[in-house]
Amino acid sequence: MELESILEKHFGYYSFKTGQKEVISSILAGNHTLAMLPTGTGKSLCYQLPGLILKGKILIISPLLSLMQDQVEQFKRFGEKRVIALNSFLSSEERNNVLTSLSSYKFIFISQEMLRIPFIMGRLQGLDISLFVVDEAHCISQWGYDFRPDYSKLGDIRQKLGDPLTLALTATATSRVREDIIASLRIEKINKIESTIDRPNIAMYVENLSDYHDKKDRVIELVTSLQKPGIIYFTSKKAAEQIASLLVDKGVCRAMPYHGGVDQNSRILIQQQFIYGQLDVICATSAFGMGVNKENIRFIIHYHMPMQMESYLQEIGRAGRDGLPSIAVLLHSPGDEQLPIHLAEGELPSEQQIDWLFNRLSDEQRSMDVGGQLPNQFKEFGGFSEVQWRIIEDFVYSPHRHSSRLEELQAAFKKFINERFIVKKKNIFQMKKWVEATSCRRELILRYFDEASSGKVPFCCDQCGLQLNDYQTGQLAPMPKANEELWKDYLAKILINRELSK
Amino acid sequence: MARLASIILYCLTQLNGERTIYSIFHLLNGKKSSQTIQDAHLFSLKNFFGVYEPLTRESFEDIIQMMQESEWIYNCGEQRFLPTPTGKSFLGNHPLPKYLNGWDHHSFTTQFWERLSFFIQVTSNLVFQESRYIPIQKNKHVHQWLKSVLREVRVPRKEMGTIVYSELVECFDEAHDIDPSLLVFRLTGFQQIGLTASQTAKRLQLDYHDYHIGFINILHYLIRNINEKANRFTVLAYLMQDLMQENELTFSSRKTQKLLNQGYSPEMIANHRHLKLSTIEDHFVEFALNVKDFSIDTFVDTELQTKILEISKHSATKKLKLIREKVPAATYFQIRLVLAKYGDR
Repeated sequence: MELESILEKHFGYYSFKTGQKEVISSILAGNHTLAMLPTGTGKSLCYQLPGLILKGKILIISPLLSLMQDQVEQFKRFGEKRVIALNSFLSSEERNNVLTSLSSYKFIFISQEMLRIPFIMGRLQGLDISLFVVDEAHCISQWGYDFRPDYSKLGDIRQKLGDPLTLALTATATSRVREDIIASLRIEKINKIESTIDRPNIAMYVENLSDYHDKKDRVIELVTSLQKPGIIYFTSKKAAEQIASLLVDKGVCRAMPYHGGVDQNSRILIQQQFIYGQLDVICATSAFGMGVNKENIRFIIHYHMPMQMESYLQEIGRAGRDGLPSIAVLLHSPGDEQLPIHLAEGELPSEQQIDWLFNRLSDEQRSMDVGGQLPNQFKEFGGFSEVQWRIIEDFVYSPHRHSSRLEELQAAFKKFINERFIVKKKNIFQMKKWVEATSCRRELILRYFDEASSGKVPFCCDQCGLQLNDYQTGQLAPMPKANEELWKDYLAKILINRELSK
Repeated sequence: MARLASIILYCLTQLNGERTIYSIFHLLNGKKSSQTIQDAHLFSLKNFFGVYEPLTRESFEDIIQMMQESEWIYNCGEQRFLPTPTGKSFLGNHPLPKYLNGWDHHSFTTQFWERLSFFIQVTSNLVFQESRYIPIQKNKHVHQWLKSVLREVRVPRKEMGTIVYSELVECFDEAHDIDPSLLVFRLTGFQQIGLTASQTAKRLQLDYHDYHIGFINILHYLIRNINEKANRFTVLAYLMQDLMQENELTFSSRKTQKLLNQGYSPEMIANHRHLKLSTIEDHFVEFALNVKDFSIDTFVDTELQTKILEISKHSATKKLKLIREKVPAATYFQIRLVLAKYGDR
């Protein structure tokens, strides 16, 4: 059967998005493949569709636990029930159930920390694996902004699983990172499919304000005039809350904040309200967006500067998936880089925390070779955040450590943390350079990702003479009136289908 | 925050200055400590046990401060408060939410809501013949429960929506002192996403704390009414499946109970479990509160029991220290057992 007809039959789409067909054909021809596809082009289809043709299992390694759950649900919605996620969210009972019936699944999502468990590796080795997928492959590289030391074990794991056909996927990776990925996976011959990271329908606009405090008024003006729906990205939860209530109180639009401090149930509802058009604007931290498939987002505003070009590109990439003109506005004021630097520092464990941890470990005379487990209560006692603790665990369990002697491990870890901070600071200054640039912004991004310019885009960026009023709404839509629907009517609306009862 | 304030005023009246303000915080939070559990029984505050689990210490302190500034309550020493005459008349004008039954329902209230909201979403999408949607509920147990309900329920799929609608409306209509909007607007259906708690509070122009209490009040109303009339609300009755028989004892107490039933003494149990004797005594007090056929006679002879009860009634106090001063023969443990067993009768 032709690929297009499989696409239509199983997924209901009539054509492939950029790069998808090339990747799928490459895999089906039996080539190891590295695919760099822009965000929003449906990367999961690149292994979902081959899964319908290949005989064995599709094993997908993913570092993002929360996204894994979304992906599994998405598979199920498209009628694929033979899918499972193996991660630390499962209770030991559930995990055992899954492991005993592992052969009945076609698509197995697994997190890196599960691969550490010899018993699970043993079970995987007993399976016929047709495709080994590494999602978010840039995490393999120490040059990537989201380096996970643990990920560098994947080369080993591939070998143990008998060198299966491999697909490495990433949305944003510089050429240096891409080389790292290939080397780390220990693949000699690989087919590289690198579609452009450029999204010509998204215009870029950086606006300089002389004072940080002017941003508040400016963002209200922008949201009032721009075509909606849109997302405003913030680095701080507090600012996200504040602007969301301002937008609502001033009657500009229906807006809600979304960040890590919002409880899980409300987060799901807010996301869905946005998708179904019950909200116009989300005031979000970077926690929002992954797994959100909304086609018609018209603007992305950055209230604060992101921590690296890669994040910026991913975040603005959520606009205009329908291909229609959309705009990304970044508000900048002097000294804006301080906030991300501060944040980068906070993500890493401090020198004092590291010393404390290793003192405690040596008090308990723990050798990391025996048992090798970090006592979890230390996380709380040492005041480590989730992210900090993950970094520690990743390091301690990674193959990078050559010594089990605590002093050596401590020194190596400190060195590692220092290096991470330097990389992060470099990324922030790269971002700052872009913000302050006086030449075409699109070209600079392409150059950053080692891509040649593909010629002029009509609505490009502020440096190319872009005017914001092209993206404004013709008429200022008044905010929908407060809903006065009665509860019985609401209940009837969702539970009684008038069409059905006729 | 009239609703929450009147609950606090009521608690203060019942406590009568014998406990600190934080005992109310722990009560509303549903803290599983023997002190909180005993207080709930001793001062007849069981209905409010665990009705506000997400309440933070900071918000609670803010509320207390606000009530103090409005002169509804006054400080009677060491974090203890009593209602002022203004506070008493406020309580008189603002009746307590009638259906709250924290002690009996708190352990499964959240689960009941998760089931109800997910059941409505699935039913609605069924009725509109939509199979592609994101479940708003991630709890796997709720998914499993729903699967089994859909297998068991004997209603044609086409009529599900109408039946659920009429059962819900009928159930709500039997009470005149609740506003179902607090719950209904939070429901998600076919292409219509429910509001979050804070959005609903805003839409109904309610203070967030009052919204929360009102919401729990409605859930407890539903739980009670569906349970009482399970033969009339045949579909809604599935929401209650396997929810009621939860054992109220804490996990650790259950272990102690096992050893007790094998004939071990408190000291032996403490030794065996490597726990402090006082912890084991706390477990025994829990049994006195919760286990109907648990007899305290082996620990306190009946004469002493009568004496303790008399003193407690006579001096209208539940303070252990005061009672002990008057009955020096009794240990604190014995006094606690007696008050736990007979204190609120």
